[in-house]
Amino acid sequence: MHKRYDAVIIGAGHNGLTLGAYLARSGLDVVVLERRHEEGGGLCTEELTRPGFLHNIHANYHTFVDLAPPIEDLELRKNGVVYVRPEVQMASIFEDNTALCIYTDLDATVESMSRFSPADAETFKRLYTEAHGYVDLLLGTLMFQPPMSIKELTGALGTFGIEDRSEFLGVKLRRQSINQFLDQHFEHPKIKAHLAFHGAVCGYANDVVGLAIGFPLLIGKIDNWNLCVGGSHRLAHALWRDLAHHGGTLITDAEVVSIVVEDGQATGVRLSDGEEIQATKLVASTVDVEQTFLRFLGKTTGASADGAGDSVKEDAVGGISTELIDRVESRIAHQDWTLFSVHLALSEPPYYEAAEFNPDVNNAWVVNLGYESLTEMNRDWQDIRAGKLPLPKPNAAVNSLFDTTDAPAGCYTGLLRQFAPFSLEQEGPGGWEIIGRQYARQCIQTWERFAPNLSSDKAVLDWVPYTPLEISQKMINMVQGDWMCGAIKLDNMLDQRPLPELGGYKTPIGRLYMAGSTQHPHGFITFGPAYNALSVIADDLGIKPWWRRI
Amino acid sequence: MPDIYTQPWYEAVKDTINQEVTKLKDIPDGKWVLAVEIVADGVSPYVGGGADGAANLTATGADERHFLIEISDGRCNWYKEVEGDYGDVELSYRFRGPATVFDEIAAGITDPIDAALKGAVKVRGDMRLLMRQAKHVKVLLEAYSKAVDTSWPKGKPPYA
Repeated sequence: MHKRYDAVIIGAGHNGLTLGAYLARSGLDVVVLERRHEEGGGLCTEELTRPGFLHNIHANYHTFVDLAPPIEDLELRKNGVVYVRPEVQMASIFEDNTALCIYTDLDATVESMSRFSPADAETFKRLYTEAHGYVDLLLGTLMFQPPMSIKELTGALGTFGIEDRSEFLGVKLRRQSINQFLDQHFEHPKIKAHLAFHGAVCGYANDVVGLAIGFPLLIGKIDNWNLCVGGSHRLAHALWRDLAHHGGTLITDAEVVSIVVEDGQATGVRLSDGEEIQATKLVASTVDVEQTFLRFLGKTTGASADGAGDSVKEDAVGGISTELIDRVESRIAHQDWTLFSVHLALSEPPYYEAAEFNPDVNNAWVVNLGYESLTEMNRDWQDIRAGKLPLPKPNAAVNSLFDTTDAPAGCYTGLLRQFAPFSLEQEGPGGWEIIGRQYARQCIQTWERFAPNLSSDKAVLDWVPYTPLEISQKMINMVQGDWMCGAIKLDNMLDQRPLPELGGYKTPIGRLYMAGSTQHPHGFITFGPAYNALSVIADDLGIKPWWRRI
Repeated sequence: MPDIYTQPWYEAVKDTINQEVTKLKDIPDGKWVLAVEIVADGVSPYVGGGADGAANLTATGADERHFLIEISDGRCNWYKEVEGDYGDVELSYRFRGPATVFDEIAAGITDPIDAALKGAVKVRGDMRLLMRQAKHVKVLLEAYSKAVDTSWPKGKPPYA
């Protein structure tokens, strides 16, 4: 006899667990199925280097804390989540050992910037103040609602006369890159580089036309970078606790191979061991579009690391047009850059030479090591898109400065992240297996250059590279190492993400929903895709939205 | 000229909305219930006693005043002050902010859209609908903020 649930959710990343927890709290019998051995998806914390060193392999920065409704709705703090918001949120250290810091205290940030440019510091203050004011409104309008079209959005901005009221917001941003925005408002190359760097860590490349539209929102929450104590996986565990507490079920090592469709309706899923699980009300996929439509719905029978699937073709199942299948194959856009990481076990924290300029850099969480201008960043994006490895300018984070539980006593867990290509120019993605350790050494050497104490034999106890290829192998929904689960560009935003016909969380198959980071708003720990899909599902099923606290 | 925050003033706002909305094309269908929550800030004399502190709290003892407005097919059915919570009323939107900000909006000194953009007035509800019905929303806001001649018996903003 088949197992039967009201709701079957594919993928136990934060979106799958979030959707499951809300539906379970709404009285539905929910199962969340996870291919891997544990829940969490990108909320993945492992002892990669040595026992006791907790490394966040994917999500490290949680920037929607106290902004995303699920944190309160699902009582995640009661379920064990503890966040720390470091006072020195971010820093840029430059080749001349000057440094710029972003603090939770706006005045301190302004003071830090004014050492480079008093005019830019004042501009930043106005930008932050304006943007921080409308973060709440914009998040409510754009992030935690099923998406509007860009045309509707710009129409409303016009009607409300936003351009006349705001120094920084306006319809014209949809035609600008972050570079253009920064060039228009700021003068100092290092300040511009730092702000662009911040955008890039959020997934927004500074040279892509159209992304200026999201930049003020990023600035409005530039001081809301939070660290999940005990590792990011704690958040996944809290979500699972809430799901379980409300009667939901999580099954790990449960690889979905197909979605069962009868008369145009999704009625369940089939697992790799042949088991079929029935869904009486809905199936929601929180994994990538390629797996969902090309694999689970019968086009191909396997998925490879690059997301292309293997070559065994079958007919698409009923309800999906061949046109849609073709569009999924040809139009799904992924980020054209990804991240190369080095995870380190340290016996001491970095002591930067730039501390002579500003001692607070030693207490900064996310540290940009070397990007000094937009020109440098632009050049690296071009190289990365051509498959070339840039000279390392990694960003460094030592979580143990703020969470002593993530490393053995007296030790520190370190993370270096470098913007990088997925596919190398000559060798393709497989080239990472050859060059990974060498590139990791170069990244560490860059860090040592800014923090010479790390070059002593005893400082770095161990290190492990984590390549873009490994991202795509470990998290197969991060196709081509795409940790945002879809390109961040204007024509892949709002209701156009991931395709216009899939942009509203529904699919052409009845009772089959998309609720993962492929959907609006995007990847990162936003909770947005699940929260917004929930609204659509609730409308369809007549669930009274207890979570909408108007 | 009706006094601010009195039933005659609410009726005047309602009538203004209903006159202005007839000039619009594409009036939205459906019913919205809006809650306006005006919180004492120690300055406005109309909520919580102003600078004199908590001596003049509302009847429920709360230092805030709550209003409900029902809009149906673009027209205002009623606008009233309520005590305490909203019971079984299903809210579409909630606007919440300091009394001085709301007083200044009603006096036409502060722009309501600016207040929302700056976070001085917090807005909760389906923002998409507000954006999609931007022209209608603008009529509502202008009726509230500019169109009614208002008497201010305890003093008119800006407050000293």
